[in-house]
Amino acid sequence: MASSRDDFIIAIRSAFLKKTTKQKFSLLTLVFLSIFIIFLSNLNFKIINNLRSVINEVVFRTSFIVSIPENFLINSYSKIIEYSTFYNNYQSNLKELESLKSKEISNEIIISENNELKDLIEDYRFSSDKILAKVIVDHDSPFLKTIIINKGSYDNIKIGTNIFDKSYLVGRVIDVNYKSSRVLLLSDLNSSVPVSITPGQVQAIIIGDGKDSAEIKYIKNNLVGDIQDQSIAYTSGTGSLFKSGIPVGRVNNNNNKFLIDFYSEFEQLKYVYAEIEKDEKSIENLDKSDTENILGISSSPEKIKLDILNEELKILSETNEKFLFENQLLKSQLSQTNEEINELQKKVEIQNKEISENIIDKKELSFLRLNLIYSSKCQKTAFKKGFKVGTPEYKECILRKGRKVND
Amino acid sequence: MIKFEKKNYIYKIYTWLPIIILFISVLNEFDLNYLNIDYFSFNFPFILIFYFALKEYNKFDYLLVFIAGLINDTVVGLPLGISSFSYIVVCIFASYLRNITIRPHLIKDWFYFLFVISLINSINYSILFLFFSYDLNIMFYIINNFFTFLLYIPSSMLLNYYLKAIND
Repeated sequence: MASSRDDFIIAIRSAFLKKTTKQKFSLLTLVFLSIFIIFLSNLNFKIINNLRSVINEVVFRTSFIVSIPENFLINSYSKIIEYSTFYNNYQSNLKELESLKSKEISNEIIISENNELKDLIEDYRFSSDKILAKVIVDHDSPFLKTIIINKGSYDNIKIGTNIFDKSYLVGRVIDVNYKSSRVLLLSDLNSSVPVSITPGQVQAIIIGDGKDSAEIKYIKNNLVGDIQDQSIAYTSGTGSLFKSGIPVGRVNNNNNKFLIDFYSEFEQLKYVYAEIEKDEKSIENLDKSDTENILGISSSPEKIKLDILNEELKILSETNEKFLFENQLLKSQLSQTNEEINELQKKVEIQNKEISENIIDKKELSFLRLNLIYSSKCQKTAFKKGFKVGTPEYKECILRKGRKVND
Repeated sequence: MIKFEKKNYIYKIYTWLPIIILFISVLNEFDLNYLNIDYFSFNFPFILIFYFALKEYNKFDYLLVFIAGLINDTVVGLPLGISSFSYIVVCIFASYLRNITIRPHLIKDWFYFLFVISLINSINYSILFLFFSYDLNIMFYIINNFFTFLLYIPSSMLLNYYLKAIND
């Protein structure tokens, strides 16, 4: 019994303390060191944060380089898949483009109107800029859904900066280094976003499910019935974590469990937009020309509206031109038809004339025929009362076949 | 069978291969997640560390393993030191098993490995949940644990070939 316990102690001691010729540190030292680092990482000292930033910078860049072969393979595979479905995608894209073009103008009008209305109600609006950032590390870990972007505190990125894919919300920055930042995606279990769901204007909080979607939580029971399948969820701006009115995704009713299917595909992110706030001091220090530019930006709704009107004008002039062209075409067709009608009328006249001449000839012929038979009855002689040859009375007499009017 | 001249540069790189692969796998988070198989993930560094610590491979420096852990924390976004702690604990358990075992057996090592990774994942989950208030899906940990356990046998067979090539 005692010997087995001794063996156990010896094995433990050996495992913890024994250093082979190549090992510089014993495992016990390293365990204590790692516990010490865990403890330090929990503290918010400036030196530790700076040190962590430096390590992060180096590791992210190295990770990006190391991931190049793997990313190359993945991209090649996805490109092959893309080529195989190229034609079908092209056809569907064409259809989509047509419908989107028509929607775009109405959307721009709505946006400008929305901005105007916000101005009217003096809503708080960020004066912000969007900067493009490249995703340098995206390993799609099952535990934490985060990405690393190549913009950091140098580019005015702060903790909480909203990150977008086109105009859709992707997540927010949780860790900032000098030239890189970590973005917590909306699908992460630790991500919670206050949203409004339309139609119905239902207020809720969505929490990532650790996969590719989010679940609607923290909603009053009596409002659950107001949520419809395929309703749109956009940020409500509650808590000032996210700007209001950013589209997030569509509601998917899965067996009375309301999930949000995000508009953006987080696995496909290569470039994202980071919305940085403008530095007020730098705006104050700008010279007049810059101030004019800023004023130009502030009057952007009017500019947008003007652009839209110009666009509409352009469309109207294009349609007008089309109508003019059609008009000319119709005019030429009309003149051609008139000419044809005239020609036809002339033809008809000629034919009528011919017909009438023919009728006259027929009458003459019948008169002559009757004249041969009845001339003796109608002709005036020395012994007989009648009519002089060639007079209309004579002709009438012949046509009556020599009978008197009373007969 | 691969044979090397012992003073060759390629041979030197070959002897450092486990550490190089460990660093690549932590930098690249080598877990085949991009295959998009639901729930599929495994912890390759655990397999690598356990195997080489068990075999007492002289080029497998514990300090480098510790640094690999720090890098893994930075890449994944965990609090610094968590992975280092886990990797060193794997080394300790492997070292203990090596010391108490007279006749090594792959299946025994395999089940011991399951016990070790289950324990470490539990400690990890507890630390992150209790001290750092991380919201984590325990299912992912269980599945990751299971696949890491399953992949130990094929990985150890491959690594046996590697060690055989070195010793020859």
